[in-house]
Amino acid sequence: MNRLRALPTFRIDPARRVAFRYRNRSLHGVAGDTVATALYANGVRIFGRSLKYHRPRGLYSLDGECSNTCMQVDGIPNVRTENTPLREGMQIKEQNVVGSAAFDLMAFMDKLDRLMPAGFYYRSLHKPARLWPVAMRQVRRAAGLGKISPDFRYGGRCDEVYLNAEVCVVGGGAAGMSAALSAAESGLRVILLEARPWLGGCFDYRPGPSQDGEPLYRRSRELLRSVSEHPGIRVFTHSPVVGHYTDNLVTAFQTGEPGDAFDYRYIEIRSRTVVVATGCIERPLLFEHNERPGVMQVGCAQRLARTYGLLPGERAVFSVGHDLGLEAAVDLSDLGLEIACVADLRQDGHDEHLVTQLAERGIEVLRGWVAARAHGARAVRAVTLATLDGTVQKRLDCDLLAASAGLTPVVGPLTLAGAQMDYDAHTGAFLPSELPPGLFTAGRLLGLHDAESIETSGRLAGLQAAAHCGAVDAAAVVELQAQAAALPGPQRGSKLVTAPVKGRKSFVCFDEDTTVKNVRQSIARGFDIPELIKRFSSAGTGPGQGGIPGHNLPLLTAHLQGKPPSSFVSTTIRAPLVPVPVAAYAGSRHDMCKRTPVHDSQKAAGGVFRRMGVWRRARYFSDDFSCREEVRNVRENVGLLDASTLGKFRLHGPDALKALQRIYIGDMSKMTAGKIKYAAMCNDDGCVIDDGVVVKRGENDYYFTTSTARAGATIEWFRYHTRYDGWEFHLVNLTDAFGVINLAGPNARKVLEKVADADVSNEAFPFAAYREFTAGGGAIAVRAMRLGFVGELSFELHVPSSLMQALWGLLEEAGKPFGIRNFGVEAQNVLRMEKGHIILGQESEQRTNLLDLGLGFLWARDKGECKTVGEAALRHAENDPGRLKLVGIRMQDPQRAPKDGALIVDRRIRGYVCTARHSFTLEQAVGLALVEEPLAGIGTRLDIYEDECRGELLKAEVVAVPFYDPDGKRMRM
Amino acid sequence: MALMITCPVCGPRNGYEFRYGGEDKGPRPAQRELSPGDWFQYVHANDCADGIQKEWWVHRDGCGVWFTTYRDTTVNREVPPPEEDA
Amino acid sequence: MTTETKSAIRRVSPVCFAAAPGESEDRDGWQVVTRYENEGEEGPWLVDLSHRPRWDVQDGHVDALRPGGVSVPQEAGQCRLQDGLLINRMNRTQAAVWHLAGATDGMPAEAAYTDVGEATLMLALFGPQTLRICEKLSALDLAGLQRRPPFLVQGPLAHVPCQIVVAQRNSGDFGGGILWTCSRGYGRSMVHAVLDAGREFGLRPAGEQRFTDWLPSLSSD
Repeated sequence: MNRLRALPTFRIDPARRVAFRYRNRSLHGVAGDTVATALYANGVRIFGRSLKYHRPRGLYSLDGECSNTCMQVDGIPNVRTENTPLREGMQIKEQNVVGSAAFDLMAFMDKLDRLMPAGFYYRSLHKPARLWPVAMRQVRRAAGLGKISPDFRYGGRCDEVYLNAEVCVVGGGAAGMSAALSAAESGLRVILLEARPWLGGCFDYRPGPSQDGEPLYRRSRELLRSVSEHPGIRVFTHSPVVGHYTDNLVTAFQTGEPGDAFDYRYIEIRSRTVVVATGCIERPLLFEHNERPGVMQVGCAQRLARTYGLLPGERAVFSVGHDLGLEAAVDLSDLGLEIACVADLRQDGHDEHLVTQLAERGIEVLRGWVAARAHGARAVRAVTLATLDGTVQKRLDCDLLAASAGLTPVVGPLTLAGAQMDYDAHTGAFLPSELPPGLFTAGRLLGLHDAESIETSGRLAGLQAAAHCGAVDAAAVVELQAQAAALPGPQRGSKLVTAPVKGRKSFVCFDEDTTVKNVRQSIARGFDIPELIKRFSSAGTGPGQGGIPGHNLPLLTAHLQGKPPSSFVSTTIRAPLVPVPVAAYAGSRHDMCKRTPVHDSQKAAGGVFRRMGVWRRARYFSDDFSCREEVRNVRENVGLLDASTLGKFRLHGPDALKALQRIYIGDMSKMTAGKIKYAAMCNDDGCVIDDGVVVKRGENDYYFTTSTARAGATIEWFRYHTRYDGWEFHLVNLTDAFGVINLAGPNARKVLEKVADADVSNEAFPFAAYREFTAGGGAIAVRAMRLGFVGELSFELHVPSSLMQALWGLLEEAGKPFGIRNFGVEAQNVLRMEKGHIILGQESEQRTNLLDLGLGFLWARDKGECKTVGEAALRHAENDPGRLKLVGIRMQDPQRAPKDGALIVDRRIRGYVCTARHSFTLEQAVGLALVEEPLAGIGTRLDIYEDECRGELLKAEVVAVPFYDPDGKRMRM
Repeated sequence: MALMITCPVCGPRNGYEFRYGGEDKGPRPAQRELSPGDWFQYVHANDCADGIQKEWWVHRDGCGVWFTTYRDTTVNREVPPPEEDA
Repeated sequence: MTTETKSAIRRVSPVCFAAAPGESEDRDGWQVVTRYENEGEEGPWLVDLSHRPRWDVQDGHVDALRPGGVSVPQEAGQCRLQDGLLINRMNRTQAAVWHLAGATDGMPAEAAYTDVGEATLMLALFGPQTLRICEKLSALDLAGLQRRPPFLVQGPLAHVPCQIVVAQRNSGDFGGGILWTCSRGYGRSMVHAVLDAGREFGLRPAGEQRFTDWLPSLSSD
């Protein structure tokens, strides 16, 4: 197809060819084409088939407001080809067709519409129930849009950017650009967002005159120059707004240009004010076969020619309701399109200058006429025009029908921001009657048509925004308001709802194949308001959301019930306003996690890492996930565990002890130097949220540890529970300041002796003691604790993080003769479970209190009124018999440990298994479980159910804990 | 959480830097003789005002301060303190 | 313990760049890279300062303290830069002390002080387009019109809570410089995220010398 000779409005470069593939054919577009215009240039008229009836569909709006032109591009389904720039080598395919879009073997579906009234899925296919799976498969095969392969991997680059501004202008037409300029003149930071790849809006392609007589497209380029030269304005093109949230948080997503560092980019803007100047789309005209390829909106036809150099047809009929339609007819006629007739559904109110221009070109204008039916099986071949009452008709041959009932303001961002919308009787549109603070509107969306009015309204909104930010005074706003008031106001809009037809094939929503008849059926079934009709008939639920049906549906709902048009408003608009690739939301997707100071050496030693909370931790050190060797080595020799993830804190200040007494359930006033105190924190329900050790290092100076999971919330927790007290205490999070090495096993002391510069004998450094000494010849300061979490002689060494690798290396070297090796988190899990030591979150859940875990000995009831968190609830829960209690269990089959979380049952669920493992040390399968109190007695037999037990319950018995070394001799060695 | 919240230390910030800490219910009651009912009232019972309520927030991702502010729960927007509390 | 093993004891920074060190020096156990190969002459640059000492100061009367002889700024969010010492006022009772240059005397023995040099990492990002890199990493308004550098912002960068000091900001473009600290464990993730965000602007790792050269251009408060 030949392009028009170069026009000043072109956004293409006809000299630069771009190759692509479509249906296994090599085709060419030109630089600047969208995928849709390139296909149109190659003679493609049928882009796809509709969801339900497999009707042929083609170009309609050029802005992607419906799924007509959704196709598969480079393996990605449902790409809106009207919004997608053509790139070299693209692979383009049709969707939802059997055969091809032009000759779809499913096209017979269109004849079956009588069998598929509105809501037929809900009403016809559910009885009998066994039919449903069969029917569902058929429906899913016939309906739907694109398909995606489960193996598909998106290879594009995605990015994200977070912006702050005083003024954010949504819409880069003449009004938006004027708003940006007037706001930026007062020194504010302005962001201008435009959905199309260039600024200009509806001025961009129109040759009609602006206020000073020069063409609108030239005026828009002047504005563009001023905008680009202004340092205070940042412009984002090809960036449709996706959401607009509380306090002017605006989100958008941008499609990258060649040379950009991204293919898609998520944009999030926090702006003090927002100016919405999104303009209008066209209100679809409802008549029979109103979506036949060859029927398109006026702006689509004009932009095909003006922007892309493609004459949209050979012989056209126009059926319009707005002066823009007359203007486009004059322009397209001048560009070489034969226009058979212009039907204007308005009886009066035309721009007479345009009527004269049409007359000069010999084009007949029929006032009070409208298209009633498009003819042609796969594309328009003729049209029947009718008077508004349908009494007089005539048929004209044509291959293009430019049809539009009028204009629809694009109000998505306004409604998302919470603006109140009402029917406006003058424009016939739904317009904001009340705006939230800091939100302003401008331009065509207010119904303005006059070029000067549009620009002035933009300048006014920009100034109002600046005044809201305090950058200009109110007098300037008042002055400009007066100027604006003297200019032409909103134009009267056409009110026609539907052509005089029955509406069996008049489509209200293209995406979901909803017709006027379907809406009537919905109302007949009692779904008589737009929100219900939407749900019953699916109108407006497709990829285009409310773009096509948004304005017509409430008008039609009122019309069909004989009610005034103000009776209803449009259905609720929700984010995302436009379809967004999920990859754009994912952005640059960095996995922000913590690594310990010995991460690399653990990795080199064969560590298998898992993400645990914010950390990456070595869980295993071999392929044997039962950790037999790691466990055995700790029990027999000595092992090294990286426990750096433990929370570590310094607490100091005059009220430090008060804070400890408030937070810990024990009595923290009785602490002796050089000794550790094991202590627990409860929440207000008495449930244990954390446990750890506390050391008193000086007067009002404490060092304490928390579990890995609680480290991040510990300071917040202390401050929350003392928020009314005004105490002076200070917390320093030292979690990352110290690496922690757990050196455990019967040989642990022999290893430490070689490295520490202090006496670490059992006499000098007994169990439960705390010592500070140096290692490595005075180079490394160590805080050391004698603990027994894994049930062996063990030292917990807290080392400055930058020196942890050094100490680790010294210990490994010193431990070689004693069989030292790494053990991971899972081996530790088995070791401590054998010892009956708990891990919070594993042996406890939300409702498990201190007493349930058998940790009642940690509770100091006699420490005075400290308002200790959890104490009141524990006192109330003490005599409650209906609680789950933690017990040890031994499985009858020593080889068969149930999974963590397996259920303990009789005729009902009586508890669950917290942790169970085969213990190589004991040669038994043992575990810890939470069971109802009556089952907690030693010797009680339990039945355990898990998915893998195949109906045969596993047998277990309640036994005493610890399973291993019950006297605790080994950890006190 | 798109709302803005004003931290007394850091100023207005994105709501998602904060964590909600419940309605302002006054200091912890003495616990020794607290009945289960009174304990429940303090810990779990809420007014759930439809309108302006005073509540606790913590600037979790920022300076870490706990503070009270006023929020209109019907529009989920921070509001200035009512006059009697200002 | 022999002297040999003792000298083998090295401090390890949480930050590691995949760049070839050009020059480095041994400082108190740290192997400080003063220059990398191919740093480029234009910037922007990312410099690891994790080896520089940092103290946490908390006291009911923090105003009365003079860490390193420098007074603590009055208001939360304010910073004072003097003799290579940067003091950030964090809230009513707390300030951070960052030693950006020169030798450091030992930390005062008063209870108010905690050595937190090991708890965090410290990075400096400066040069052209710095603020454009920042806006890819954080929703914080580091370019806000109301405040003059240096100032402190406590908030998320790359989704990690940080203490950020906006040290310099050019008028009219996106150039400038920030310094920040965050939990040490995030070292690798943080560097990866920042270098990735800065790639399109030519961000490169640089040695400490770049930072030392840039430091005198900062205003004090």
